[in-house]
Amino acid sequence: MTAQDTALDLSEASSIKWRRYGVIIGRVLLIGLLFVLWKLGADAVGPIYVADPIKVIQRIITDTQSGLLLKHIYATLRISTIGFAIGCAFGIALPFVLRLVPRITAAVEPYIMASVGIPKYALIPLFILYFGIDDAPKLWLVGLLVFYPIFIAVFAGIRNVDRRLINMARIVGASESRIAREVIWYSLTPFFFAALKISLPRAVSAAIIGEFLVGNEGIGYFIENSRQSFDTVGAFAGILVATALVLVLNSVLDKIDHRVNAWRPKERSMEI
Amino acid sequence: MSGQPLLEVRGLDKRFAGRSGRDTALWVIKDLSFSVPDGEFLTIIGPSGSGKTTLLNMIAQIDVANGGEVRFQSKSAPINDPKSLNPGLNCQIGYVTQEDNLLPWRTTLQNVLFPLEVQGRLDAEGRARADMLMRTVGLAGFEGHYPHELSGGMRKRASLIRTLVYDPPVILMDEPFGALDAQTRAQLQEDLLRLWNLGRKTIVFVTHDITEAIALGDRTLVLSRAPAKIVGDHPITIPRPRDIRGIMTHPDFAALYQRIREQVQ
Ligand SMILES: Nc1ncnc2c1ncn2[C@@H]1O[C@H](COP(=O)(O)OP(=O)(O)OP(=O)(O)O)[C@@H](O)[C@H]1O
Ligand SMILES: [Mg+2]
Repeated sequence: MTAQDTALDLSEASSIKWRRYGVIIGRVLLIGLLFVLWKLGADAVGPIYVADPIKVIQRIITDTQSGLLLKHIYATLRISTIGFAIGCAFGIALPFVLRLVPRITAAVEPYIMASVGIPKYALIPLFILYFGIDDAPKLWLVGLLVFYPIFIAVFAGIRNVDRRLINMARIVGASESRIAREVIWYSLTPFFFAALKISLPRAVSAAIIGEFLVGNEGIGYFIENSRQSFDTVGAFAGILVATALVLVLNSVLDKIDHRVNAWRPKERSMEI
Repeated sequence: MSGQPLLEVRGLDKRFAGRSGRDTALWVIKDLSFSVPDGEFLTIIGPSGSGKTTLLNMIAQIDVANGGEVRFQSKSAPINDPKSLNPGLNCQIGYVTQEDNLLPWRTTLQNVLFPLEVQGRLDAEGRARADMLMRTVGLAGFEGHYPHELSGGMRKRASLIRTLVYDPPVILMDEPFGALDAQTRAQLQEDLLRLWNLGRKTIVFVTHDITEAIALGDRTLVLSRAPAKIVGDHPITIPRPRDIRGIMTHPDFAALYQRIREQVQ
């Protein structure tokens, strides 16, 4: 490498670094702007409808310190992650099972696809009737909401696996289970992660809606309880915490996606 | 080099259904027969669309035939029914396909080791062999690259040695050097002949380059346009070891080339 090359590399690296700083500064400014707008809106509309952002932040801090908020966050996290795991497990397993029985698949596929159309939230009263008012109805709701996007992605992903890769694997002596794990699974990870990203916020939303209706814990309960006692600050604090929860879970998912799909070609210009 | 045929194709028929139900089916291969003795390097030449890939797919048992049979070591393989297909015939028939079919999520070396891995034969010896093959075809230093980080020619070479690494007794090759520049192509042809000379595998090598067919083969079959028939069967009399780059100057070459060229339309 010549000195000139090194100089070029360095200047490129520093310009990339500066662009990255620029984006971060822009983001911080945007958040500040939103905050100001929120504050102005709150002052204009009145504290019954829109809570003062400063009070909301203060509330989050005090309720976190007292442990109250953590208890509710934990409850919501528990319902959404367990429900998410159940929905994922079935959403992944079912297409792999159906792959083995193509005739049955052809028969049931239209019914499965039609059942996508059932508004899942409309089933909540039945879930309460069948499963009581503990975690069970909430887990059913979350599980079902997560199941569909995952199932559809994995099902379509399996159909779209390059036949030629499967043939190649068969020719060199790979067993069917090996092909399922090595060829099919990796081919569909991009679809699968796209579906996970859709499902994760859904799981948290479903858990919160479940908490509106049954039980006495979780962020959903916290928000609804605040509203009932005309505590708009509490409701806003709950919404903010729920949003933060989704963002944190999403970034964890992004990290995993990055590691699992490191082999995928990346467009250099897409990186900043 | 002669003796009992290792691989026989007898009366093979293949058609593809027309696009819509009422269309007449298109016969790609009709009543095709030939046999390949153990250890022979057979080259098959034919125009584009004549059914060469289709033929290899049926021999490798990843596609069904509509009639006829393929025999391996005098045993008939049931290839008329999709359920009884046995791709690769228990790793006895290797297939270097026209597309490279590398697994995009595996690095070059992991792709080359894939057959050994799934066959449960990945040991130090296998790794050493993969290493030797990587170096032979000029892929040393690219072990950790993913397929999308390789050039088209490098991907072809990787897919070639992925089959050589597990050493099947029969290897089918579908235009493996099609996309390469003349220099690399000659280099790889020499390497392939050298490797073949060590083990004398049976090779069925499809190409549409007449010079390549003559330079590599013990015998060259010429296929007609679809439906494919054999219109020529030429023993290549040029003795081995051959000088690939100077093959055109061999006294027998011109006559062979002329005879084959007349049959390839
Ligand atoms: N799956 C398919 N469905 C319908 N027709 C097909 C199919 N596969 C191949 N064909 C037809 O069969 C004929 C032979 O195709 P094939 O791929 O075997 O040709 P080829 O000799 O390998 O050509 P090339 O040298 O260009 O690779 C072509 O006319 C093609 O259109
Ligand atoms: Mg072809």
